[in-house]
Amino acid sequence: MNLAWDDALWALAALHIDPVGMHGIWLRAPHGPVRDEWLSLLQHLRPNVRRLPNNIDSERLLGGLDLSATLSTGRPVTQAGLLAQSDQSLLLAPMAERMAPEAAAILGQVLDSGRVTPHGGGDTQDARLGLIALDEALEDEPGMSESLQERLGLWLDLRHLGRQETASDEVLGLLGVLASPGEQADTERQTVFERLRTLRLNDEQIQAITQMAQAMGIDSMRAPLACVRLACVLAALRESEAVEDVDLGRAARLCLTPRATQMPAPPEQEAPPEQPPEPPAEAPAPPEPTPPDNQPTPEQPPDAPQEDTPPQDMGEMLLEAALASLPPDVLAQLASTRAAPIKGGGQSRSGEVRQSRSRGSPLPPRPGLPRQGARLHVLATLGHAAPRQKLRTSVASAEGTASRLKIRAEDFHVHRFAQRSQTCLIFAIDASGSAALHRLAEAKGAVELLLAQSYSRRDQVCVVGFRGTQAEVLLPPTKSLVRAKRSLAGLPGGGGTPLPHAIKLALELALQQRRLGVSPSLVMLCDGRANVSLEGIGGRAQALQESLSWANAWRAQGLPSIWIDTSARPEPQAQQIALAMGSRYVPLPQASSQRMAQVVQAAAN
Amino acid sequence: MAIPFPFSAIVGQDEMKLAIQIVAIDPKVGGILALGDRGTGKSTAVRALADLLPPLQVVVGCSYGCDPASNSATCSDCAALKEAGKRPKTQTRPVPVVDLPLGASEDRVVGALDLEKALSLGIKAFSPGLLAQANRGFLYIDEVNLLEDHLVDLLIDVAASGENVVEREGLSVRHPARFVLVGSGNPEEGELRPQLLDRFGLSVEVRTPQDIDQRIAVIKRRDAFERDPQGFRDEWALQNQGLREHILKARKLLDKVKVGDDLLRLCAQLCQSLGTDGLRAELTLMRACRSLAAMQGHKAATPAHLRTVAPMALRHRLRRNPLDDTGSGTRVERALTEVLGA
Repeated sequence: MNLAWDDALWALAALHIDPVGMHGIWLRAPHGPVRDEWLSLLQHLRPNVRRLPNNIDSERLLGGLDLSATLSTGRPVTQAGLLAQSDQSLLLAPMAERMAPEAAAILGQVLDSGRVTPHGGGDTQDARLGLIALDEALEDEPGMSESLQERLGLWLDLRHLGRQETASDEVLGLLGVLASPGEQADTERQTVFERLRTLRLNDEQIQAITQMAQAMGIDSMRAPLACVRLACVLAALRESEAVEDVDLGRAARLCLTPRATQMPAPPEQEAPPEQPPEPPAEAPAPPEPTPPDNQPTPEQPPDAPQEDTPPQDMGEMLLEAALASLPPDVLAQLASTRAAPIKGGGQSRSGEVRQSRSRGSPLPPRPGLPRQGARLHVLATLGHAAPRQKLRTSVASAEGTASRLKIRAEDFHVHRFAQRSQTCLIFAIDASGSAALHRLAEAKGAVELLLAQSYSRRDQVCVVGFRGTQAEVLLPPTKSLVRAKRSLAGLPGGGGTPLPHAIKLALELALQQRRLGVSPSLVMLCDGRANVSLEGIGGRAQALQESLSWANAWRAQGLPSIWIDTSARPEPQAQQIALAMGSRYVPLPQASSQRMAQVVQAAAN
Repeated sequence: MAIPFPFSAIVGQDEMKLAIQIVAIDPKVGGILALGDRGTGKSTAVRALADLLPPLQVVVGCSYGCDPASNSATCSDCAALKEAGKRPKTQTRPVPVVDLPLGASEDRVVGALDLEKALSLGIKAFSPGLLAQANRGFLYIDEVNLLEDHLVDLLIDVAASGENVVEREGLSVRHPARFVLVGSGNPEEGELRPQLLDRFGLSVEVRTPQDIDQRIAVIKRRDAFERDPQGFRDEWALQNQGLREHILKARKLLDKVKVGDDLLRLCAQLCQSLGTDGLRAELTLMRACRSLAAMQGHKAATPAHLRTVAPMALRHRLRRNPLDDTGSGTRVERALTEVLGA
């Protein structure tokens, strides 16, 4: 039996029993057999679960005036939106990572309040629902909107599962009963739900969950709350009279472990009573506490508490259970979630459309049907219809209908708005030994000045540093200056110049940003003396060759860039690579930070 | 209405609760900006605000909830009533706390042509937006730092003038929109424009309680609330009632609280040493001191009150070198020690 898959099925059952209490699930998995299997089981449980199309407009989401019915009857006809229609039920959002920020904001609010206000006002309606958000983002891509992630109770990651996983008979049997045909399934669900009402966690259990959330560095109180609720649902599913350790363990694996930002101390030690006062974001990778040696591999489920074992401390037991389903490389993953590009850049997806149909400063209306987010421009529509009334009335009265305003499809005009596209400035900073240390300080100074400028323009910035054997993203795209400053301060100097890797990384970042609708541009601060190849092996010829080919790849994408040559006198090799990249080449032999910043600003404008 | 979490049942968050009470006593202090990570209970506290506010008297049939006591007909609805020579009927209504969703369109916020009337009756009428709903109440923006720029511009303007002017789609409408702006957000995700920051009277930093017992209390209460919202509210109704009466009492006292010249001088010195622009900081300080004094039942504001409110009132107003790491809270503390003595 595979523990992760088993948990996934328990999560499914819990969502089916208590969609509202769970608020939903953030399901990370590629499109593939594992996810399909999970979804088909969902289909069995809830054949009528609604899907949330990605291009849904807010009118359909929130509900509002039904335009065609209104026009045909001449009376205002309202229709309920998808959210209100999903009250007390589940809503499935495929490709949640591409969800428009407006939709994510609306969903977040509805999940919080359980109410929805129809588009254009009106009485609020109940919309208590659970959201199943399918997130297909790759490891290096930004995932679903973070504020939405946060509100979903369950987090499930199926990316590491193979296709032939098996689950325990217990949960399979349970799903079978819940999905049985006819009224039996409903009765069963009701029974479980009734049992859920009577179940409570005892103080010791609540304390254990709270402590563990804290030890894992989870600041949000939503996570332990979801965990408490889920534990009760799981116990109800097992037809148990009380919440037991096995429920707590499962709940912790589904609600707490995936949110962990630091590894809790191994069970032997006392959990640290207090968090360090500074926000954990700036803490370096956790100090690598080795996982307990006896950590069960996924093939061996953790020993269910047996009668003959001495009673374990609740906290220890929970911790052990919570860590049971972790893949072995979890430490590396935990360290990387801190710096992963998922953080920070998630909010900027609105730049995609330069000419937006919903927001921005207004442009003249144009003919078109109000669909896919376009809003009806009533005045233009009426204005277009007005001169044709007489004609239409004569035709209509010949047919014997009453004389109302006659509006035809061709009258419809929609709003148009101009919207500024966002930009992202990528800094690639050479911190190698050849870019002598004082130049590095100047470069840092210049970048700081530029940061302050882009702050005033509200651009996003992103910093790539390279030295030694490879380049790394020091700061994923962000608008936060404090973080940018911090990442720069932490950049040490010395070592080789892995220029090919730097260009490659910058290119990947730029393309990723472009996919999000952000316009990227690059500022490269480097002397061009590449001497480390992509594989991290020294050698000038190879490194130059690779630099040039990646530079060509950069140019092929038509991305803008500026090359600031940081060497003491203009360096032909830097010029050569800059040319290949199609960069603006700026030699800066005696630069001060101030001048450097001026040049980049002038070039960028 | 969805049932909000009772204010008196909120665990910890002392600064946030204090700021909310100060503003509830005297809305003129200005809005509240709550900054902190997700899941720290910022919005719970804000949505519970309504618990503290005594209901309003409003004119029946006025879309903007005008005050019957005010004589000037500030909105078109009241003007029409007056012209008809009728004595406006009044009714009581809870103070509006209006949510501004992040994805809201401009139409939704400022109001727009009434589609229903335009289509079914063919007449041009104004359908009021969220700003109209929020008149005389609170406008709450979750994740305010992610708000679209054009909405920010709009809010800055309306929050300053207290009036919403709509000139679009052939409509020409102006109506009162006096509201207290309440925002919350996570500063890691983006900064706020200084002009918008300035519209907030007080700012507070919200953190999850680090004390395990407090955390457990949060979980227990929240769980109890989610299981039975109405029952939980009933349980806390008495405490909420007490708080509300306390606020009412403080409001009555407010006009009697003296703010001496000495204290005003201290306020000015404090603002000067911190280099805050304009007089708004001093005004906010003064009002917040008075409100706090009234809350504690004092007849005069003292330097002790000033010390309590100064960080909240000034923190977000410091002209800030964006690359300076020193927390603005620390700078305010330093200035306080300088001006008031240790």
